[in-house]
Amino acid sequence: MTLYNTFKTALLGLWANKLRAMLTTLGVIIGVASVIAMLALGNGARAAVEASFRFLGADQVQISERRTIQDGEFRPVGAKLTYSDGLAMPSAVPLVRRVSMSLGGSAKVRRERVTLDMGFVATTADALEQAVSTGDYQPVGHPEGAPLTAEDFVGQGRFFSPAEVVDGAEVCVLGAQTAADLFEGDDPVGETIHVNRMRCLVVGVIAELESADAKERYRSQVNEALYMPISTAIRAFYETEPSVNITAYVRDEKRITEAKAQIVTYLRDRHTIEKNEAGNYEDDFDITTRQDVLGAQQEAANTFAVLLAAMAVVSLVVGGIGIMNVMLVSVTERTREIGTRLAVGAQRSDIVRQFLLEAVLLSAVGGVFGVAVGILTIPLAAALNQGMALLSPASIPLSLGVALVTGITFGLYPALRAARLDPIAALRYE
Amino acid sequence: MNQEARDKKQESRETDQWIIETKNLSRTYRLGDTEVHALRGVDVRIASGEFVALMGASGSGKSTLLHLLGCLDTPTDGVYRLESEDVSRLSHRARADVRNRRIGFIFQSFNLLGRASALDNAMLPLLYRGRVKGAAQQAMEALARVGLAARASHRPREMSGGEQQRVAIARALVADPAIVLADEPTGNLDSRTGEEIMQLLSALHAEGRTIVMVTHDDHVASYAGRILRMKDGRLES
Repeated sequence: MTLYNTFKTALLGLWANKLRAMLTTLGVIIGVASVIAMLALGNGARAAVEASFRFLGADQVQISERRTIQDGEFRPVGAKLTYSDGLAMPSAVPLVRRVSMSLGGSAKVRRERVTLDMGFVATTADALEQAVSTGDYQPVGHPEGAPLTAEDFVGQGRFFSPAEVVDGAEVCVLGAQTAADLFEGDDPVGETIHVNRMRCLVVGVIAELESADAKERYRSQVNEALYMPISTAIRAFYETEPSVNITAYVRDEKRITEAKAQIVTYLRDRHTIEKNEAGNYEDDFDITTRQDVLGAQQEAANTFAVLLAAMAVVSLVVGGIGIMNVMLVSVTERTREIGTRLAVGAQRSDIVRQFLLEAVLLSAVGGVFGVAVGILTIPLAAALNQGMALLSPASIPLSLGVALVTGITFGLYPALRAARLDPIAALRYE
Repeated sequence: MNQEARDKKQESRETDQWIIETKNLSRTYRLGDTEVHALRGVDVRIASGEFVALMGASGSGKSTLLHLLGCLDTPTDGVYRLESEDVSRLSHRARADVRNRRIGFIFQSFNLLGRASALDNAMLPLLYRGRVKGAAQQAMEALARVGLAARASHRPREMSGGEQQRVAIARALVADPAIVLADEPTGNLDSRTGEEIMQLLSALHAEGRTIVMVTHDDHVASYAGRILRMKDGRLES
């Protein structure tokens, strides 16, 4: 029989019992939909991690103090990661080109009668360049797609200079909202304010910023800020040397692993860290490169993939068993029909093809509807997973393919049984 | 030419006359520990254009013989020649082909496809031949021959028993088979409709069709030109 006619025959066979066919495909629909949703969850998680580490350029090594949780609080593990650790790094570590540092804390900021309790950010002079490369924020009204420069971030006056960082000058730069809160319309540049009792000269105001991601445009927090040289903050606000965050820029991206090793050696030397009894180093700092993040991602993705594969197999086996069951019943019900077909000259292969095609049609339809349901379920999955779910395009042909394979696999046995019927017995079947 | 060759030539000339010829045809089933001898060494010769009735009590072997003649089954012993060709020990595939091209079946319970139209039912053997061109045309001709051209698009459940059996006859004829085998063709019909069907079969016989029919009804058997009676798997002489 031609494929076209076999197709028509199979279709008629399924159509005769529409409700049964629909219920049978339900298993496949659910299986496929869950594969789509799970892959989307995995894809979304991956994308979210990638996004959160966007600022970690390929030439950057991120170093911070290592902490553990003791009695419900974060406590440092060992020595602090200091400003002088960072200062000495470019000359001590050959592969490190330069170093950027930051430190955050809280301050009472006062001008005349206005006092604000807020956080400050103490940085090296390249803070604006950092902001550009991070790309999380941009000045309000900045044309979409136009390149950002550090200059664009300055609203009034200027940012503090490297020399001012070296000298520990008592200068500061205000966020747009903070400037408005303190000066109420007056020009802040050149004026003096008090930060934690230290007198401080305002040299500039940051332009009003907004989130670069259009979906997350909330303006309040980023514009409430005070920036000052890191050296000044350390000298003025801390009795004991505080821990800073260091970003080291390496000379050669390709040698970043080697650079990381050099930095580790350098810090272990400065912090006098030696091997413990078990032969391990108990580092008091955390050091991360983009490779580390991607590597961790890879591992997580692989674990996820294995879990997912197992889940997909289980759900599609269930769907497939449903198909096989229904096909077996169908074959039994149509024993007479099969006998008639054999009597008028159908080959066994004709019978196999007819019933196999019915099973494949069931799983194919289930696959298509499953993909549709899966795609519709993704927003729901996202809601349950903190917004992290992104359709993976490859998952569509993948799950359709698997659905088809399921149909063929589980439809084969009933089809073979149908073909092996004895025509005489089949014709007599009640 | 020696005597052996001459005898062989004579035999083949004699054989050529018979459209159906069986020699010592036997069929034995194994049911658990026992053997059932459904057919014991049956010799039958049927000429082209004959209308033969097979009669006998149940268990006499008449249905078994019909199934063997229809290549639905293979004999355990003996030879069956259809149109002078030995079809006794063919493969599944070859037998299906014989059933498709050379044999037309008519069953007691019609055995139509309930979801297909009369036309689709009549066409069925042609579809299994893989040939689609002209199949609908041929099927229409067959339906016309049995007087059902007007009902071509109707489904079996929309038809009477007599009409359904006529569709089945059209199906049996559509591939222009060498022989038509009928198993109790009027068994599920009332006497009047049964008459109509027998008249139709008679007419087909008059056109030259070879028909072998199993029946337990003497009146139905009377339509045939020859009656073969069977008992306990053997032909009664």
